[in-house]
Amino acid sequence: MTDLEQLQTALHSLKVLRSNVGIAFESVSNGLRADHGEDGKENKFILELQELLSTVNNNLRDVEGAVSNLSIPPGPFALGNTIYLSQEVTQERQSLYVQLVNSYKWTDKIRDYSALAGNILASNSVNKTYKTFSTTKRRKTQTSTHNVPPEVIENLITGIDRLFPDVTITASRPFVPNPVIQASLSRVLKAVIAFKGLMIEWVVVKAHSESNDLWTESRYKVFKKVTENCHAAMCHFHSPTMPELAVKSFMHWFHSYNTLFSNPCKRCGNYLYSNLPPTWRDLRTLEPYHEECK
Amino acid sequence: MGVTILQQFPIENRTGPATIELLTKRISALGAVQQGHFLVDCETYSSVANLGPPRTVHVLHNSEQPASCFSILDTGTKTIPLAADGLFDLLMLKMNYFYQAKKQTKAESKGPRFEIGDFCVKLGTVTVSQNFKGILVEVEYRPCVVPGMCWELIREFMQGVLGSSVQSNPPPYLATRMQENYTPIDTIHQYLEHFTMFRKSPGMRT
Ligand SMILES: [Zn+2]
Repeated sequence: MTDLEQLQTALHSLKVLRSNVGIAFESVSNGLRADHGEDGKENKFILELQELLSTVNNNLRDVEGAVSNLSIPPGPFALGNTIYLSQEVTQERQSLYVQLVNSYKWTDKIRDYSALAGNILASNSVNKTYKTFSTTKRRKTQTSTHNVPPEVIENLITGIDRLFPDVTITASRPFVPNPVIQASLSRVLKAVIAFKGLMIEWVVVKAHSESNDLWTESRYKVFKKVTENCHAAMCHFHSPTMPELAVKSFMHWFHSYNTLFSNPCKRCGNYLYSNLPPTWRDLRTLEPYHEECK
Repeated sequence: MGVTILQQFPIENRTGPATIELLTKRISALGAVQQGHFLVDCETYSSVANLGPPRTVHVLHNSEQPASCFSILDTGTKTIPLAADGLFDLLMLKMNYFYQAKKQTKAESKGPRFEIGDFCVKLGTVTVSQNFKGILVEVEYRPCVVPGMCWELIREFMQGVLGSSVQSNPPPYLATRMQENYTPIDTIHQYLEHFTMFRKSPGMRT
């Protein structure tokens, strides 16, 4: 029974953590309140935040402690004596067996999924937080990625424009924090790219003859596929700590579509697969592949 | 409007309808869906003697651009293409005194129209003044407008449908314009090239 108690403790500390994270976020999103008064309200707010964050930190430590106390279930659960419920004859108890089987299936699935998730999470660290608090030397203030002066974004866009001669960029709303730009890639295609500060937020790829509207997708299958792949690449290159590099890497990758119709697939050597050209570009080598061949 | 390649398909010892049926079966097996029919027609007019050096005007219509009327003026030394709206037909009637329709030369290519992926395929039965002359297959790749970029891709597609009859080089008219942006008049030029050859051949062109 201690196993169960430990599980309860772990679940409880997880609940406390989530609740306190919620409170911290709420406080951040509300900003300065009236009860901070007038004198030194910023400092009060910062102190309050610090307090909330250290609570969160403590809670996180509790969760980690509680989790490390848990024992890993040795194998699939056995039903034990409960299987005899299937031989129950009394009418009102017959439904118990069905419930038992259902919850057995459920726990079995949880076991499977958590084992998979455990493996994946162990190999891909999801730690994206910039951790340099310990080294006092690199205590440079991190530039915010979604709230930057328009000139910075404007510079970034002109930079990209100069980087690739066959990419022509027209910005329909320049000098605002969240511009939407059209990037024409020679005569092959155009992309409508929406920025959120220095981050790429949305991309739609279309034919030159189609509208610049950000919300309607292309009527051509090939550009729909390329749009999908751009979304994948956008997430792949995304980096909150180096937003400019992320945008440049994305544009570098995007630029490789100038051979969308003219280069065969690197794997199968053909131009077409299910009537589509190679719509994928390798994220590192930029080589063309069919979706089925990558 | 994408790049279009027009080519003749040899009928060998089949009839016209049997050839269309064969190609329909092949392309349907690849997943194509029929989307209506198409028609391209061509009427040729020659200038009357007292208008000076002889000139020829070819007037063509394409059901893909139903509101347009295309004409190609051939002065012997150069050709001048023109895309106008439907009223141009009436204008040609008014010019009956200067340009007269050549007898027995009305050429047509018509048949089923298919869509498959981003491709559009048209299987045309060609007649010159109602006489069956052969089969023309039109393949359009709609997302791309530069022939030089997608010729190899279209060729691979055509080989899948038409087999070994596909030429290894682009049609002569297109070969000199591979880096230009493709427009509907380029399709008209390709049809005219084929119609002219069909008219010259006395029987069926196989
Ligand atoms: Zn491939």
